Amino acid sequence: MIGRPTFRSTELQLLIAPSLLAIVGLLTIFLAPRGTVMWTWSDIWVSLAYVGVVTIISLSFSLLGFRGDQVLFPVTVTLAGLGLLMIQRLHPDLTAIDPDYAGLAQKQLIYLGAGLAVLWGTVVVFRRVDLLRRYKYTWLLLSLGLLAITFLFGTEINGAKLWLTIGPFQAQPSEIVKITLVIFLAGYLEDNRDVLAASWHFGPLRLPPLPYLLPMGLMWASSLMVLVILNDLGSALLFFGIFLAMLYVASGRALYVAIGLLSFAAASWGAFQAFGRIGLRVQNWLDPWQDPLDVGYQQVQSDYALASGQLLGSGLGMGRPWYIPEVQTDFIFSAIGEELGLLGAVAVLALYFLLVMRGFTIALRTGDRFARLTAVGLATILGIQTVIITGGVIRLIPLTGITLPFVSYGGSSLLTNFLIIGLLLNISESNRRQA
Amino acid sequence: MPPTVRAVAVALFLAAIALGLRTGSGISDARWLAILGAAWLLLIVALWPRLPAGLPQFNRTVVRTALVLTTIFAILSIQLVRIQVVQGDVTAQRVARAANGDSLANPRLQNESLSIRRGRMFDRNGVLVADTVRQGDVWARVYPEPESAYLVGYYSPLRYGNAGLEASFDDELSGRAANNPFVRWENELLNRSQTGVDLQLTLDANLQRHAHELLDGRPGAVVLLEVGTGAVHTMASNPNYDPNRLFTGNPGDAEAAGVYWERLISDEDAPLVLRATEGLFSPGSTFKTVTASAAVDSGLANPSSTYEDDGALVVEGHTIPEFNRPDDTIDTWTLSDGLAWSLNVVLARVGLQLGPEGLQEYATRFGFGEEIPFDLPVARSQLASTPDFLDSPAALADTAFGQGQILTTPLQMALVAAGIANDGVIMQPYLVSGTRDGEGNLTRETEPSVWQRPISSESAAQVQDMMVNAVENGYAAGAQIEGLVVGGKTGTAEVDNGEPHAWFIAFVGDPEPRYAVAVVLEHGGVGLGDSLAIARDMLAAAMAEETVP
Repeated sequence: MIGRPTFRSTELQLLIAPSLLAIVGLLTIFLAPRGTVMWTWSDIWVSLAYVGVVTIISLSFSLLGFRGDQVLFPVTVTLAGLGLLMIQRLHPDLTAIDPDYAGLAQKQLIYLGAGLAVLWGTVVVFRRVDLLRRYKYTWLLLSLGLLAITFLFGTEINGAKLWLTIGPFQAQPSEIVKITLVIFLAGYLEDNRDVLAASWHFGPLRLPPLPYLLPMGLMWASSLMVLVILNDLGSALLFFGIFLAMLYVASGRALYVAIGLLSFAAASWGAFQAFGRIGLRVQNWLDPWQDPLDVGYQQVQSDYALASGQLLGSGLGMGRPWYIPEVQTDFIFSAIGEELGLLGAVAVLALYFLLVMRGFTIALRTGDRFARLTAVGLATILGIQTVIITGGVIRLIPLTGITLPFVSYGGSSLLTNFLIIGLLLNISESNRRQA
Repeated sequence: MPPTVRAVAVALFLAAIALGLRTGSGISDARWLAILGAAWLLLIVALWPRLPAGLPQFNRTVVRTALVLTTIFAILSIQLVRIQVVQGDVTAQRVARAANGDSLANPRLQNESLSIRRGRMFDRNGVLVADTVRQGDVWARVYPEPESAYLVGYYSPLRYGNAGLEASFDDELSGRAANNPFVRWENELLNRSQTGVDLQLTLDANLQRHAHELLDGRPGAVVLLEVGTGAVHTMASNPNYDPNRLFTGNPGDAEAAGVYWERLISDEDAPLVLRATEGLFSPGSTFKTVTASAAVDSGLANPSSTYEDDGALVVEGHTIPEFNRPDDTIDTWTLSDGLAWSLNVVLARVGLQLGPEGLQEYATRFGFGEEIPFDLPVARSQLASTPDFLDSPAALADTAFGQGQILTTPLQMALVAAGIANDGVIMQPYLVSGTRDGEGNLTRETEPSVWQRPISSESAAQVQDMMVNAVENGYAAGAQIEGLVVGGKTGTAEVDNGEPHAWFIAFVGDPEPRYAVAVVLEHGGVGLGDSLAIARDMLAAAMAEETVP
């Protein structure tokens, strides 16, 4: 029991829309390819179960007297519900192409259930955000250790060494590292707040204080290492982006951000030049149509999918997104663009925007300095990750393989993102308790 | 940020986006991204928050970070607008070509085309000439009648497009037009195949086959149509092609289709160009019917008007020899004789009598220089390549008996014969008589309509008599059909690059004129017999077909 029971009516009302989306959406997916209107409730048990579970979670929050934010959970449920629909929708078509995809939908359902459990556990069982702060170096070491293990024993998939294989399971440790990084940075920046105010002179130059310089250099180097050694530009961009955002929020110095950004851009450009991968990436970004059958194939197929979607889309289950390789992970946004059209794609972007802004709002309302910095960092993870992958898919920036939070197929990503929401919910309540 | 700076930034931002989106595919993606990048910075300037002085530093930096993220999401949405809507159609239809020549097209389009149960086409007797059959999970296009197939055209979604009736009536055949929008929506919702509308043709597949037997592989064309309505019963062209080989239902067919296509487009005989409608030939003496019609209708002559023809005519130093007189001792001939024996000198004199304006006017009335409104693409016939060509009397004289610079299509010459036969009224030709419902009932019927009225019915009657006279007493004697009235005109078109084209145009009646025909054998030689025999057989077959219940 967290407190006296409360009625989270806003949350419950906001859950109506995603519940309808899940049920009607799955019905559409079930009926569209069959050309019939015959169905039974068991055809959509997946969505019914999903709606049931999220409703129970919301009611349990009420009963247990959880008084945190009431918008985060419904928005998350909407996005995760859309992800559920997209995977259910892609599963039969992908399996028809490659039988290896046979377990796709079932696995994602298990991950989704586990993710919701993680969220619930974080909110109801694990309630001590302050513990995170106390052991921040432990978290740091753990993350670095995980990355090191990945580097040493990892499995390479699609040219990036991101995966640890343990028995039948594959996990992507860099996902959880996102969170430990945010916690460490929040703790570190907060602990050294006093020294951070002072500048440091080296001859005529006024340099940032050493406590800034040191982690900045460390982050800079480790992000670059992720890029070079793990060949994972997406994670490198994400890590460094989170770092810069938190550094700026904590210090208020835009100059640090500018210097960090420019030097990182220059260094990664240099690294890519040295490893000879830059040409293809840039070509694939600016004109994948030059080489449509080989290097540009995936991007051209994604262009076709999005262009075929037009304003309203083909309708859920009526498009042909399976022509895009890796549509269930990196390119799931193209499938959304094709089937739900521009309106659907922009609506999905709006949901992410809402999620991030809600995270920032929670940060602004939180008094605890560590917690609010953590909230900014966690919200920034979701924001930057969404921008990196959707921007890459729609060729606004070079493509880097990374998941679309809550929607893409993948267990590690899903669990981590639910953990982020759980932590944000916790922080939103810790604020209330203090007030 | 001062308000003026904000206003300027907003204006510049909107201008940049509007310009970038309006230009569409006019700018490269790289340039568009540069514009978008600049617009993003402008947007940040325009929206940079003005925060109260007392606000804690944490709140200031969070708000600013939020603003930057907001602008990034706005730019993402603008990019989506460009690639999904502004550029959507262009990209969806775009065919990408790799350096080695292989190509990639949007698989959705082919699938969409192949998921449509395309409308069938039936000849006038209900014979299927274009069918749609289930082949695996796609609808395949087949053309069961090889002699009619090329006229129907080809259907090659995403590869070579479509041609012929497949192209002209694509909206009906694909079901885009004609179907109830509600039915289309329901089909789409339930993922049923869209069904196209069936077409009823005026074509007679039997006659078409017969025409090809008569042509026997020789290059040329046969056009036979009903004079009272303009309904085309036969439109045979050699060389032609097999559209079955251009349809690709699965990727495996693509290579064979590609080889065939390459062969078609590199063939010097241009088999994709249908001679009947798009082939331009010198008409030779068949054009004399136009000159004679002009003379009669303008009142300058009647069938018994006489002209001197003593074996040659010199016009401004240019000699027109006369080889066609059946009796070299006679120097005076009537206009009717001139047509029956195809006397060049007689018709040259008629042309000089008409003058350039007179001849030009009647040629235009018969459709020369006009676009024939038809269900297939047609080439425009011409009286002369340059407007002042006819001002020279020598050129005028040549043109009057069918040489000079005249170029015409077999369809045009069939319409000349049809107009004369139909009392001076040329009906608009057509191949599609309407759409059919599932039971084969005509739903939307083509109403026959008048295209041109070149001459009065009195004049037409006189020209008819002259053409009948040509068959009964003149060079066209071989065209007689027992029990029927046949009028005709032979033609041997001298060409620079080989044997002359052998022409024959004719009409048949019982005695009311029913059908007109034009036959041309490309470089068919001076022997009139072959084209005349083909025309005669076709007319007889058309009349016989009619009496069959």
